[in-house]
Amino acid sequence: MIKDGPWKEAPKATTFAEREFQVCIAARLVENGKTYWVAGGGGPMYSVLIAKKLYAPDVVYVAEDGVVGPEPMLPFDPVMTLAAARPSYRALMWSTMNGIGDQCAVGYLDYGVLNTLQLDPYGNLNSTWIGTYGVEGRRFNGPGGADTIAAMCRRVVLMMDHQRRKFVPRVDFISSPGYLDGSPGARERAGLPANTGPWALVTNWAVFDFEEQTHHLRLRAIAPFVTLEQVLAEMTFEPKFPPDGKVETLDPPTEEELRILRTEMDVNGQFTDTAAHWVVWEDGRWSLVAKEQGKKLSPL
Amino acid sequence: MADNLERVPTVAEKTLRILEEGQGEYSLPDPDVFREWTARKDRAMRPKLMTAQEAVARFVADGDYIVWETNYFQRGPSALIREIIRQRKTRLWAGGKFTWVIVALLVEAGCCDRADMGFFVGGPGVTRAVVEKRLKVYEYSNLVMAARLRAGAMGLSFISVRSLGGTDGFKYSGAKIIEDPYTGKPTVIVPALYPDVALIHVHQADQYGNARIFGTTITDVESALASRKVIISAEEIINTEEIRHKPGLTKIPYYLVDAVVHQPFGAYPGECPGMYASDTEHVAEVLGAIYNDKVKEYLDKWVYSVASEEQMLVERVGLNKLKEMQRRATMVATEGYRS
Repeated sequence: MIKDGPWKEAPKATTFAEREFQVCIAARLVENGKTYWVAGGGGPMYSVLIAKKLYAPDVVYVAEDGVVGPEPMLPFDPVMTLAAARPSYRALMWSTMNGIGDQCAVGYLDYGVLNTLQLDPYGNLNSTWIGTYGVEGRRFNGPGGADTIAAMCRRVVLMMDHQRRKFVPRVDFISSPGYLDGSPGARERAGLPANTGPWALVTNWAVFDFEEQTHHLRLRAIAPFVTLEQVLAEMTFEPKFPPDGKVETLDPPTEEELRILRTEMDVNGQFTDTAAHWVVWEDGRWSLVAKEQGKKLSPL
Repeated sequence: MADNLERVPTVAEKTLRILEEGQGEYSLPDPDVFREWTARKDRAMRPKLMTAQEAVARFVADGDYIVWETNYFQRGPSALIREIIRQRKTRLWAGGKFTWVIVALLVEAGCCDRADMGFFVGGPGVTRAVVEKRLKVYEYSNLVMAARLRAGAMGLSFISVRSLGGTDGFKYSGAKIIEDPYTGKPTVIVPALYPDVALIHVHQADQYGNARIFGTTITDVESALASRKVIISAEEIINTEEIRHKPGLTKIPYYLVDAVVHQPFGAYPGECPGMYASDTEHVAEVLGAIYNDKVKEYLDKWVYSVASEEQMLVERVGLNKLKEMQRRATMVATEGYRS
């Protein structure tokens, strides 16, 4: 899953936001020649677009409003990531919402890429309600198109901030399905297509996959600027580990990946600015620097 | 040879097994009831041009189930939504796909007490309305709502989907899991949706309601077919001769349509692809109002304190802004949005 690629040899960035790192890592997981259903905007769309420009030119993506294979005009106006002229530019087809759903249902859409607010060990997603549903807590956006993507794409890549409150033993509300209770055939018993489900989770600190037998989240690689202990401390449950016990270390973003992300996509820093820290390479090691104060937090 | 055949159960032995079902309410999706309605709809090619005020007053009733295409930010019937708020309609049931802010605006305005969702920006106001039981939310997804509309548009009572099963949303929806009578596999079914009103903003229409939409079309056609009353707002009113000249561009035929509103910038503050870009400041303002619990102030400024959309565009938005929105659209991607 963690492959070598052109990023190995490319000039490395020395200052970046954690979410920028996350987008670049997700971009490197994109498989050339496959079809993607990309949830509107943010990290999922940026990662697929970076991959298309640098590593996977034959990727074709669709969006929920009916766009098929666009060559989008970047950057987008805020919020205008779907059903607008720029993201729809030079598409191969302008279809409908049901038209995209049909393509996915019959199996033409290989990968989906999704954001989530909360995740459990079996890759179930919550984007509906944090707290006790309908009683206390906070209402969020709901699944949108994510439920369909999570149900019907052959493989699903998830993106989430690496925070303890987000890795929970059980999500407060399953908005979009992972492996449900993890038992064999759970998805099929719920009426979902066979051989589908979460394939990877990319956080700003780590990459996970799901163990084949148990469908449990499994740690595969961590960022070069955090330790294994830090990664595990920000989770409420322990992930599985690869059979050989080897957790790989990810490469930092390249200058080129960041240039594209900053000048063509997240031009106002709306997505990546919400991260609290810069990651900075200084004196032969990575440091986390608080953005606001510009002060060094934790030399590693 | 016959020994190798599986024994086929007789009809008497078969019962359709419901394996699980959600608790969400829904209107009885009876296609024959809907057909009685369409039997009465006027087929005459009659001019239906009217103002937004008149269309909403005549065709949106308190308690109606309403759907709209697409949303407040992207070729949505934003002007019609504001008119519904201005006329203080009540007890609406909102059918929401990726609606962004519309449900939050309707809820805070006191117009809406039930919603089938989808995707929407909730914020503190919606959370409060749910907890205080002023708003009942039934949980679907964008695509499942699209499938429900498609079932309505096909004249069915339900449709089978390959999603929603296994989620907690399922429990709060009108979905069921049945044993598929053909494959024997567990299969999710959802009730068809037959809304009372569809609000659809289009690029061009003639005075009878033959409508053209350029770009992706979400579920515009399904909504128009499945809804009892259809209100079209159009950026441009064109001659029927033009329609007949390029019939391949017509997405909705006139006899589905009850009202045609000529509403330039009807998708404001959103974008109407190929015609004008969004008002990015306004988009930030309305999102901010929802996240920061200032919807009342937003509605006072943009809806209640102006008598009409025209007054809003002139006095609150201004010609310079409108020209700038048009310029930003024509400077970039207009390909594909014209006949």
